[in-house]
Amino acid sequence: MNGLIQDVKFALRQLRKAPGFTITAILTLALGIGANAAIFTLVHAVLLKNLPVVDPKMLVRVGDNDECCINGGAAYKNDYTLFSYDLYTHLRDQIPEFEQLAAMQAGIGYGSLTTRRSNDSSLPKSLRSEMVSGNYFQVFGLTPYAGRLLTPADDVAGAPPGVVMSYQTWQRDYGLDPTVVGSTFLLNTNPVTVVGITPPGFYGDRMTDTPPDFYIPMAMEPQLGPAHPTTILHRSDRSWIYLIGRIKPGTELPSLQAKMGGVLRGFLAQLPTFQRKGMEQNLAQSHVVLVPAGAGIENMQQNTGKGLRLLFIVSALVLLIACANIANLVLVRGMARRAETSIRMALGAQRRRLIRQMLTESVLLSCLGGLAGLVVAYGGTRVLLNMAFPDATDLPIQATPSTVVLAFAFGLSLLTGLIFGIAPAWVTSHSEPAEALRGSNRTTQDRSGWLQRSLVILQAALSLVLLVGAGLMAKSLSNLEGQNFGVKTENRFVAHFSPENAAYKQNQLQSLYDRITQDLHALPGVERVSLSMYTPLEGNNWSEGVQFQGRAEPKVGDEMGASWLRASPEFFDIVGHHVLRGRGITEQDTATSTPIAVVNEAFVKKFFSNGKDPIGAHFGVSGMQSVGDFEIVGVVSDVKYNNVREHTRAMYFRPLLQMAHTKPEDDTRSMYASAIMLQTKGSIDDLESQVRRTLANIDPNLTVSRYDTFQGQIRGQFNQERLIARLTLMFGALALVLASVGLYGVTAYSVARRTPEIGVRMALGANRGSVIAMVLREALMQAGIGLAIGVPVTWICTRFVQSQLYGVAGHDLVVLGGAVLILAGAAFAAGLIPAQRAASTDPVQALRME
Amino acid sequence: MADSIIEIEQLTKVFYTDEIETHALSGVHMQIKRGEYVAMSGPSGCGKSTLLSIIGLLDTPTAGRYQLNGKEVANLDFADRSRIRNQEIGFIFQSFNLIGDLSVAENVELPLTYRAGMPAAERKARVQESLERVNMAHRMRHYPAQLSGGQQQRVAVARALAGSPSILLADEPTGNLDSKNGEAVMKLLKELHDEGATICMVTHDPRFAAHAERQIHLFDGKVVAEGELSQLMAEA
Repeated sequence: MNGLIQDVKFALRQLRKAPGFTITAILTLALGIGANAAIFTLVHAVLLKNLPVVDPKMLVRVGDNDECCINGGAAYKNDYTLFSYDLYTHLRDQIPEFEQLAAMQAGIGYGSLTTRRSNDSSLPKSLRSEMVSGNYFQVFGLTPYAGRLLTPADDVAGAPPGVVMSYQTWQRDYGLDPTVVGSTFLLNTNPVTVVGITPPGFYGDRMTDTPPDFYIPMAMEPQLGPAHPTTILHRSDRSWIYLIGRIKPGTELPSLQAKMGGVLRGFLAQLPTFQRKGMEQNLAQSHVVLVPAGAGIENMQQNTGKGLRLLFIVSALVLLIACANIANLVLVRGMARRAETSIRMALGAQRRRLIRQMLTESVLLSCLGGLAGLVVAYGGTRVLLNMAFPDATDLPIQATPSTVVLAFAFGLSLLTGLIFGIAPAWVTSHSEPAEALRGSNRTTQDRSGWLQRSLVILQAALSLVLLVGAGLMAKSLSNLEGQNFGVKTENRFVAHFSPENAAYKQNQLQSLYDRITQDLHALPGVERVSLSMYTPLEGNNWSEGVQFQGRAEPKVGDEMGASWLRASPEFFDIVGHHVLRGRGITEQDTATSTPIAVVNEAFVKKFFSNGKDPIGAHFGVSGMQSVGDFEIVGVVSDVKYNNVREHTRAMYFRPLLQMAHTKPEDDTRSMYASAIMLQTKGSIDDLESQVRRTLANIDPNLTVSRYDTFQGQIRGQFNQERLIARLTLMFGALALVLASVGLYGVTAYSVARRTPEIGVRMALGANRGSVIAMVLREALMQAGIGLAIGVPVTWICTRFVQSQLYGVAGHDLVVLGGAVLILAGAAFAAGLIPAQRAASTDPVQALRME
Repeated sequence: MADSIIEIEQLTKVFYTDEIETHALSGVHMQIKRGEYVAMSGPSGCGKSTLLSIIGLLDTPTAGRYQLNGKEVANLDFADRSRIRNQEIGFIFQSFNLIGDLSVAENVELPLTYRAGMPAAERKARVQESLERVNMAHRMRHYPAQLSGGQQQRVAVARALAGSPSILLADEPTGNLDSKNGEAVMKLLKELHDEGATICMVTHDPRFAAHAERQIHLFDGKVVAEGELSQLMAEA
């Protein structure tokens, strides 16, 4: 212990004595460790952290994918993740292995509520809600912060309407006002009582950037839910619920999974969908997968996991380069202190003791770097969170380093210190003790040269990997953003609202839509106004299987899916659809006129590949009895609405209020538009507030839940890609700088060491050009070997990022060539300065050094 | 008659550089007895520093026998040589070899810190005692750069004494000092010898060699003359 204290004291003294080295090393480490800690903050929060609930290890999710939000028919690949409410209660009652099995609404992203406290005179606002089963909070073992949480008694038809408010909402919107508990709120104009407040850290059953503000019993779905006014609570053919349960101790998951599969198939067999001919195989293959749910529903984890892991690897590589750089600096210092090391050895110091002393210095340095890195991590995490979740309201990820992040940073600092310290310590500790007897000018072999050069080569190789990765990501982002979505975005704006939440009845919609269109048109500068179910690239999608008149009934497994939406007449012009044939939707397409549909090119390509004219064709979506429901009257150009990485889907468009003849009850909900698009003549100041005011003037309950430019909405689709591209570019640039500094340092050290030799060469007639060439040759040789190693390594590594790329091959020669040129240029620049210094050596002075 | 601390027989040291063999020592025989003061001299390149390195266990011989305190030490591994060096040998170097970042006291304490299990209080006591012995206790908080050359060499002597070694090995201890300071250091070594210390000193200056009881003269890696000063002078 005494020895360790002495080593620490001596190390501190050494660091204080060389402020330039210490500051450079600490800054380099701060960037490396800070970047890693910032990325780890995200990785830990998103991928590793459990829900803040009691004993999360015992939680199990029924289902393993991120399907959303309301589905009909068989599950994708017969793997059930979404369930109907009736199927949930069936499973809950038939599976005693669960202490509790809770249900929660799958799609909370658009689950906005128009909310106002009953005694509050201010305008209602749009807040988020999640419908949950009555035992939801019991499954998580939570206790309320105030009041009480929901119980099964709240979740029965006819129970007094009670909801739970999240602590974050209570704090943010109501200033922790204790009278909120027990008071009446109007949710979608329905009076409900806030019965309690969730515990402060609880953010729901999943990591999301917009956690729920209210938790509502599922029994209230007919009054408040997304299906209002057509309830889906007891529709067995509508799946919209995720399930999480707490298993009893000792329960084996494989056997429980098999048992649940059996119970599932027993329930499905009763449904008309599975009694159709050809569905036998679907039924037989229907199953559930049970997965640990300590982290809750892992949709965000599934969507961001690959990207986060990639960033984590990239930041680790940057730290490795930083380590190589500092190892070189430490090595140079070690060589300068070789005489001291020899003296210590002559006095009887064992090698391991010397290594310990040098490692103490390295680890101390890295811990100082780690401390500074925490500041970088805090700032970096804030930037990352803003970039990754620009629309977040109550993001449950804190930029302030948690205990786990602190432990990670400390552990990483220790590891970093060992990594960059071990090789120099080893080399330096192998000084000859006999050197202590020799004079300082006696020529001795410099053992550090090969290691220094190896470290530079390593840096060059790793930098190439990072530069190529950055280039690929940047090119991929450019391809994604620059692709032709088929839209026009200039002077276009999107506002989301909900007449459903404002309690409009179906027969009131026509006049509401007319009024909205008319009043918004009246705003100065507004050229066009449209209403639609949703808009392109906002993350929403409705789809159905279609059947055509005059054709055979599709067989099970035939790909007949098409996305669709309802829209008002000016929608096509605002979005950028061109009418290619026939006509678009017009004012004459009213609720009482013949139901029509306009289809896109992808629809024609998919369903009219035989060259038949789609105009005049009829189709339906509710079985063969519905094939005459809609007449195709026009074809419009393709626009991407969904996944930007996929081809445009087949789509059809219907007027806002026309009802299908077959199963009209299924058509009701889609009549509720949720998006308004505006096209203006130019930029208009405070258009958003004008839109909000216009809607509030029509009805105070018509709140705007989201507002953005059309361009901004599309850009929002690439947040993750943009984050990855920017960070890899930043890390690539950092790697390039570090590698260049490393090469410069080694070349400068080599020049300083060889000054007498250079003096002799010049005394013998070498000119400046030949000295520059000699030094540059050595520098470029190291960079060249690094590139020679880096190219095949890069070639292999790019395979792992191929799935993240769009429109660019992992083995893109332009990117690779560009990265090689940049690195070679940096190596040339890094070598040129010491080379010029070498060339300016005064031979007389140099020979005196000898 | 005192017993032998160092006994060397047929010691050779060959350096290999590329394909060239350099015989630095060729069959050296020598003995140093406890309490003896021996000076080794010879022209530059005669092998005296190489011999001192081997005696000090800083280097190993190519062949031959070397016994220190009756134990064979010629072929010990690095760790054992370090341990014995730390416990049995005190070095005084030509260029003092004090560590500039350590204070006088820390420099003197340094070899003791490499000795496992020695309590801090005992280390402090030994440092104090050693520095007092060379009259440098009043400078223990100073740093080497704050001392004159002579003072630095006295500190180096104190460091060599702190571990209570069996023998002091001094390599040209006056080489970097002016004559006045050189004489002072030689006087100090004489006093230590008078108090019972065994000293082996390399020097090429006959004036300083004269302080020793016995001289060993090397030439081309061999002992060419050996004896008490008076005897050598008579032979000459």
